[in-house]
Amino acid sequence: MADQKKRADKTLTLKEAIKEFVHDDSSVTLGGFCGRNSQAAAYEIVRQNRRNLTIIDDSPTDQLDILIGAGCIKAVEIAWNGVSIFSLARNLRRSVEEAIPHKIEVQDYSNYAASLRFMAGAMNVPFLPTRSLLGSDIPRHNRRIKIINDPYEGGPIALVPAASPDVAIIHVQRADRQGNAQIWGHLANDENKARAAKHAVVTCEEIVREEAILKIPNMTALPSYCVDAVVKAPYGSHPWSCYGYYYHDIIFQRDYAKSNQTRPGFLKWIDEWILSCEDQSDYCRKVGKERLLKLAKMERAINRIPV
Amino acid sequence: MSSEGKAKDYSLAELMAVLAAKEIKDGDKVFVGIGIPMIAGFLAIHSHAPNAVLMFEGGYLGSHPPVACTDVGDSVLGLGAPYITSSWRTFSDLQRGYCDIGIIGSAQVDKYGNVNSTVILDNGTYENPKTRLPGSGGANDIASSAGRLLIMARLEKRRFVPRVDYVTSPGHVGGYESRRKTGLKGGGPVAVITDRAIFRFDEDTKEMYLSHLYPGVSVEEVKKEISWNLRVAEHIATVEPPTKAQVNFMRSYDPTDVILRRRCLFESIDFPSWSGLAMSDWKKHARRA
Repeated sequence: MADQKKRADKTLTLKEAIKEFVHDDSSVTLGGFCGRNSQAAAYEIVRQNRRNLTIIDDSPTDQLDILIGAGCIKAVEIAWNGVSIFSLARNLRRSVEEAIPHKIEVQDYSNYAASLRFMAGAMNVPFLPTRSLLGSDIPRHNRRIKIINDPYEGGPIALVPAASPDVAIIHVQRADRQGNAQIWGHLANDENKARAAKHAVVTCEEIVREEAILKIPNMTALPSYCVDAVVKAPYGSHPWSCYGYYYHDIIFQRDYAKSNQTRPGFLKWIDEWILSCEDQSDYCRKVGKERLLKLAKMERAINRIPV
Repeated sequence: MSSEGKAKDYSLAELMAVLAAKEIKDGDKVFVGIGIPMIAGFLAIHSHAPNAVLMFEGGYLGSHPPVACTDVGDSVLGLGAPYITSSWRTFSDLQRGYCDIGIIGSAQVDKYGNVNSTVILDNGTYENPKTRLPGSGGANDIASSAGRLLIMARLEKRRFVPRVDYVTSPGHVGGYESRRKTGLKGGGPVAVITDRAIFRFDEDTKEMYLSHLYPGVSVEEVKKEISWNLRVAEHIATVEPPTKAQVNFMRSYDPTDVILRRRCLFESIDFPSWSGLAMSDWKKHARRA
């Protein structure tokens, strides 16, 4: 394992972490699942203008759509891409249908198949079997999926290959400086994504003292030994929700989906919300303190996490 | 809820949700995606199936949110949920056979209930399609392993094709016993619910047939939208309109109209009005959790 995982203090800024762990041609997986998304990290990848990335994921939403539109992506291995319930992922469509800004390669899986790919990566085994995918066209167009005869009981069974991306970026509620990361709400595939990847970057709402982690160790989804870097990124999932911290800003997302109907609309949007913002705090200032506090108030009305 | 009068003012989306809800039995574990399937699930829980358990792919299980959520990882699904877990665990429970019924949407559906939500080819190829759609998400997994499958579709000729361009989610594959032979363990589709009719599947051939019509819709009108020679049940029933209580429930469940889209409210509402409305509705319906 890389030396980064052994550091006692792994804190970096988001700029430093993306610079150190995401390079041109890297394969990347982003955490969350329609909530607790690695949105701030995706924005920073756009700012640093990475190229030829491969995204290996389950159902990345607008963060992938933005990366495709910004020209950062070469290939995707995913189960689904759209923008919440508002629209299809227009940048994915423009790329595949019209090669704008360029053509990307798409490899389709299902969400369970994607989940098992990360589990296989996290287990350090080459593949896992599943009863999904049989009788469908997914394996016909994705030759990495194999249908074999079950060697024990007989009958068809599908195999999906392990995923081992270069880096996983996982947004969590809180972590200590060593990288023990705690998650409330749905875990998505994040425990396995971090372990399947060669490097794991944790972005978090709060960095806490180790004592706070020790009080409720059951909530630690990622132990420090599988984490390379810890980044404080408040509102790092906005506009998506972060359980216990802030609710889903669906108005912001609706407005993204509207802008994104056309290529010029999208370019204007990334210029306004990503490229002209120096960093995540600048983005937060632009969204507005009052608005973010309102989202935090909304979330606290439904979910409170123990401190 | 069912004892009240029939609604006169309702949308086709609302009727589709009511018809999907009717397919859910009390105690069923129900795998739902966002949108109308989710509204159907919550309507069932708040009417005839109070012990049904909804499963969401992000990892929320058994949620009772006070109003509708807008995605499968919405933190409001944390309310009234006895179990919150991971995606791989939720899908493993589905594959294990715990899920009684799943509801999925479709861009194309064929006569054996195979569903496409990946690519529309129109003389193109998988690599160079006419339209690239979002892909399977969890739909393939639900169609593979749920005990029963409900498919939601708008009744349009371009959607009801003899053979889908790409099988994202397998139905009865090529009919007869072909689904079982592929190794799939889930039961496959039991119904296709559209905005004008309901289709079911023949027990032997597994071919889709017309079983119910919406009020005021004719068999010919339905046949016009199907691009193969559609089989028709001997006795075609007409579906009941929703009750006033069902319609009121759904509207109170979707206060900003983000799902049912009867009005243009969600298109134009600003942030302060939306957040105010959402919070007051959470408070008003807190007892649903």
